[in-house]
Parts: sequence; C-alpha cells; structure tokens
Amino acid sequence: MSAVASGWGLFAIILVCTATVAVGALGLRLSRTTSDFYVAGRTVTAGWNASAIGGEYLSAASFLGVAGIVYSLGTHMLWLPVGYTLGYLILLVLVAAPLRRSGAYTIPDFAEARLSSRRVRRLASLLVIAIGWLYLLPQFQGAGLALQTVTGASPAVGSLIVAGVVLASVAAGGMRSITLVQAMQYWVKLAAIAIPCFVLAWLWLRGGQPLPKLTDPGGPFAGALPAYPSREHPLYATYSTMLALCFGTMGLPHVLVRFYTNPDGRAARRTTVIVIGLLGAFYLFPPVFGMLGRVYLPSLPAGTRADSVVLLLPSAMAPGTLGDLLSAILAGGAFAAFLSTASGLTVSVAGVIDQDLLSGAMNRRLGGDLPRTHSFRLASVVAILIPYAASWLAPSVTLADTVGMAFAIAASTFCPLLILGVWWRGLSVAGAAAGLIVGGTLAMGATLATFVGVGRGTGGWLPVLLAQPAAWTMPTAFVTAVLVSLATPRSIPVNAARAMVRLHAPEEVTARVRPSSG
Amino acid sequence: MTSHDDISEERAARYIAVQNSQEFAALRKKFRGFVFPMTGAFLAWYFLYVLLASYAIDFMATPIGGTRITIGLVLGLLQFATTFAITMIYARWADRELDPAAAALAEHMERGDLR
Repeated sequence: MSAVASGWGLFAIILVCTATVAVGALGLRLSRTTSDFYVAGRTVTAGWNASAIGGEYLSAASFLGVAGIVYSLGTHMLWLPVGYTLGYLILLVLVAAPLRRSGAYTIPDFAEARLSSRRVRRLASLLVIAIGWLYLLPQFQGAGLALQTVTGASPAVGSLIVAGVVLASVAAGGMRSITLVQAMQYWVKLAAIAIPCFVLAWLWLRGGQPLPKLTDPGGPFAGALPAYPSREHPLYATYSTMLALCFGTMGLPHVLVRFYTNPDGRAARRTTVIVIGLLGAFYLFPPVFGMLGRVYLPSLPAGTRADSVVLLLPSAMAPGTLGDLLSAILAGGAFAAFLSTASGLTVSVAGVIDQDLLSGAMNRRLGGDLPRTHSFRLASVVAILIPYAASWLAPSVTLADTVGMAFAIAASTFCPLLILGVWWRGLSVAGAAAGLIVGGTLAMGATLATFVGVGRGTGGWLPVLLAQPAAWTMPTAFVTAVLVSLATPRSIPVNAARAMVRLHAPEEVTARVRPSSG
Repeated sequence: MTSHDDISEERAARYIAVQNSQEFAALRKKFRGFVFPMTGAFLAWYFLYVLLASYAIDFMATPIGGTRITIGLVLGLLQFATTFAITMIYARWADRELDPAAAALAEHMERGDLR
C-alpha cells in the first residue's frame, strides 16, 4: 500500500480513537453514581440504547469477517449474520423480561437472586470472566491485523492502541460514558461501511461489469456446502455453530447488562425492535463487498486473508485517491468495531472482577473506605491486561473461530442456567452448579484442545467436534442440570416460589410487593 | 429485628398468594402459549434455510427472471425481514395483550381480590 494511502488510513484510525476518548470524557462529566457507572442509571432512551447495543455487538467478525466469508463461500453464508441477529430475538422472547424483573445487573447477580447461593454465583462469575477474555482475544488480534493491512505497522501496535483507548474510556467513565461511545460507534460503523459501499456499487454500475455469479458450487470459489467446506463434516459444523449463535448470545457478558439500561419492560422491547432493525441494516452492506470482490478481485494477493477483502476492494476498483480515501474510511470503521466490542466486554468483565473478587478483598484490607469507582478502575486494568497478554501467546486460531468458541461456551453454561432458572421451578442449587461445571468444563476443554491442535489434520470427527462443540456440550449441560436437580430435590432453594413470582409477575406487581425503600 | 421479620413474612405471604392465584397462572400460560411456539417456528424457518442451502443447491442457485439474483439470495434477505417482523409482532403483542393483563393483576393484588 502506498505511503499516501497508509497516511490516510492512519489518520482515520487516529480520528476514531480520539473521538472515542473525547466522547468517553464527555460521559464522565455526566456519570456520578455507582449505578450510573454500571448500568447508566437506567436513564438511557430506547434509541440511544439500541444504537449502543448495535455499536457494541458489531465486532470485527461482522465488519470484516462477513464480507470475507461471502467472498470465499457465496451468498449462502448469509446464515451467519442472520444467526447473530436471531440470538437477540431469542434472548428477548425467552429471558429478557424475567431477567429485568429479577433486578440483577449481571448473570452472577441472577444466579444468586434465583438460587440464593454464593457458590453458584462465584461459578457464574468465573465463567463470565472466561467468556469475556476469550471474546476480547480476537478483538486485540484483529486490531493488530487491520493496522498491519492498512499501514504495514507491526501487529503489536494495533492491539496496543485498542487496549490503551479502551482502558482510558472504560476506567474514566464506566457504563454511562460507554453507552454514549458505543452509540456513536454504531453510526460510525454504518457510515464507514455504507458510504464506500454506495460509491463502489455506483462505480460497478457505471463500469458495466456483470453481476458476479452468486453461487457456483465447485467453481473457483468452491463451497458446495454453506459452511466450512474445508472441514470434514460441514453440515455438523454449520448446525453446531448456528446453535451456539442462537443460544449463546443470551450468555455473552456484554449483551445482557444492556437490557437493564432501559427504564421499563416496554422500553426494553422497543429497544430490541430497533436493535434488530439496526443490525439488519448494517448486515446488508458486507455481502455487497463480498460479491463485488468476486468481480474485481478474482484472486487475492499472496499472504492476505479473505477477511481483508473489505479493505482491499477500494484500491482494486478505484486505484488512486478515491480508493485510498475509501480504504481509510473502512479502516476507521473497522477500528470502531474493535474498540466498541472490546469496551463493552471490558466493562462487563471489570464489573464482575470488581464486585465478586476485588472490592471484598480490598475493603477487608483497607477498612471499607475505598470509593467504589477506584476498585472498578483497578478491575478494568486487570480485565484488559490479561487477554492483551494472552493475545501475544495465543496460537493462531482464526478470529471467527475464537468468537464462535466464546458463543459455544456461553450456550453450554449460561443458556441452561438462564432458561431453566427462568422457566423451571425444580432447578436445584446442585443441579445448576453441576450444569455450569459440566457444560463449562466440556466446552472450555474443547476450546483448549482446539488451541493446542488436538487431532488437527487427522480428518476425522474429533477436530470438528472440538472446534464446534455446542451441538453436544449444550444438550449435555441441560441434561446434567435437569437430572441432578431431580436427584437433589432438597437443594431446591426454599424461596424458589418467591423468586419465580418475582421473575414472572409483571413489574407493577413486584414494585408493589417490594417495600418502597427498594 | 422483629419488625424486619414481620415485613419479610408479610412479603413472602404476598408472593405466595400471587404464585397461587389463577390469574397469575393464566398470565404465565398466555406468555408461554405465545412465546414457545413462536420460538420454535422461527428456529425451524432458520434451520430450513441452511438445510436448503446445503442440499438444494441447484434450487437455491436458480436465477429469478433474467437476472443473476438467485432464490438463495432472496431467501437469505427474507431471513432478516422475518426476524425483524417477528420482533415487531412480539413487541406489539406484549404491549397490547401482556401489559394490560399484568396491570389488572397488580390492581387486583392491591385491592386484595386476587382470583
């Protein structure tokens, strides 16, 4: 890439980073209380909140990965972004409303409220941290790769920038400022992908090139099956990934907390309608890049990944200033994607580290005088540094696969906890704990085995089962939780009935039963 | 201490009364009756799409009219449209059906005439 092009790309990235810190600082002046810090004081309007959810959710996998997948495998692959969207709908209809009523901010809070068990709470906390860190890993690695593609800088620089900017904005402003930052970043991302998309589509229309063949099994873009044609059992891999996406979204640490930033259930539903609209609007654009890539980039330069097709297309279609400018806009958008997802995850992981691990220990040591926000800031440093360090050590499993594994672990642990906890009165403390331990051990074990490369290259079922574990780990976790609960009826919490009423009775009822002091 | 216990006793009793009321059972049944079949239906439609993309490749690659736009592409975009439509339908249903029933339950509990 030319010096001019990389200069513009760098300028766009610096602009996005500066805007993130500036808007974060603006939020800091607005956030005053602990409640503001964690859930923005429930004062965020539906439109803002929906933009923030969209901003947080559209990560590198959406901004770069979807186009890359459509480019290499064809428009069948639309099932992937559909799955990302559908996960939200399942979360909304099955668990969102009861969870709001439980009054818990996080999944560990829910575990404690529903089961009255500190132990299950601690298990859930450890899982939140594990899933959050696993999901942060590809954000750092992706940032390094994107900066390298645009400017030629070492991958270490890109991930350091993301870690630094996220730390600055999270530690400074907590959830309120993050809401503003992420709402802005949704629109940055949409503009950064839509404007180049319209320009390139206009160039294509004017150029009179034919529409590419959208699906050509066996052709140069081989992909007889919709997913992972390079793998041994593609249909299994596809369905397992779909399950993980549909049922893992509800267990992602940065997703659930957003439902509490709505003032009431009606606003939470309205927010979700807007979110699905925003996600759907965004996902219209990446496939266009994939399809145009087939016309103008029949083969990629050696050593580049299909994921970079979004960044490479402008200079292939419009060499010169216009292409450089469009590439720079896209690079800025990609950075907005890394920053927003990493910020949301960091806030959630830091919240759990702070509430469940740090503040207790620090209060004991310092006599309880420490302001809440100090321990939160310390927690955010821990929340970022460990996955940042791990991004150096982690083996090169593809970004999309790492994200898929985080979804699979969430689907195998928190999905059974949430669905059984909300819908089945017979869930016992022992059953919930057994489900979390069995599902978590299996899914995380499969993830680690994939990282170290167990069975890689043998071509059998083993590597596929390990890389896409949700289809077997999720049902196993459900069955374990149910069977252990049935075997231990005495460990059903005594106030299960009360907890169930609180979950399912409308908010008006619980508001009146609860003492007004709250 | 005693007064605190009295309050939580009274709260517990109120919760049990709600839990045992027919009105609460009806509300939950109404919710489940709408949400569970709907979840099943949209999951089936999503999984069917992938099944078609896997096994009915020729069908999915059928061009529409004289264009290169294929049935597969249209069905893929329809997936987004239906997801949005279902979310709208659910939100409107909950506003229209669920919230008034919930408000009525709260009202009855307040007046102490839960059924």
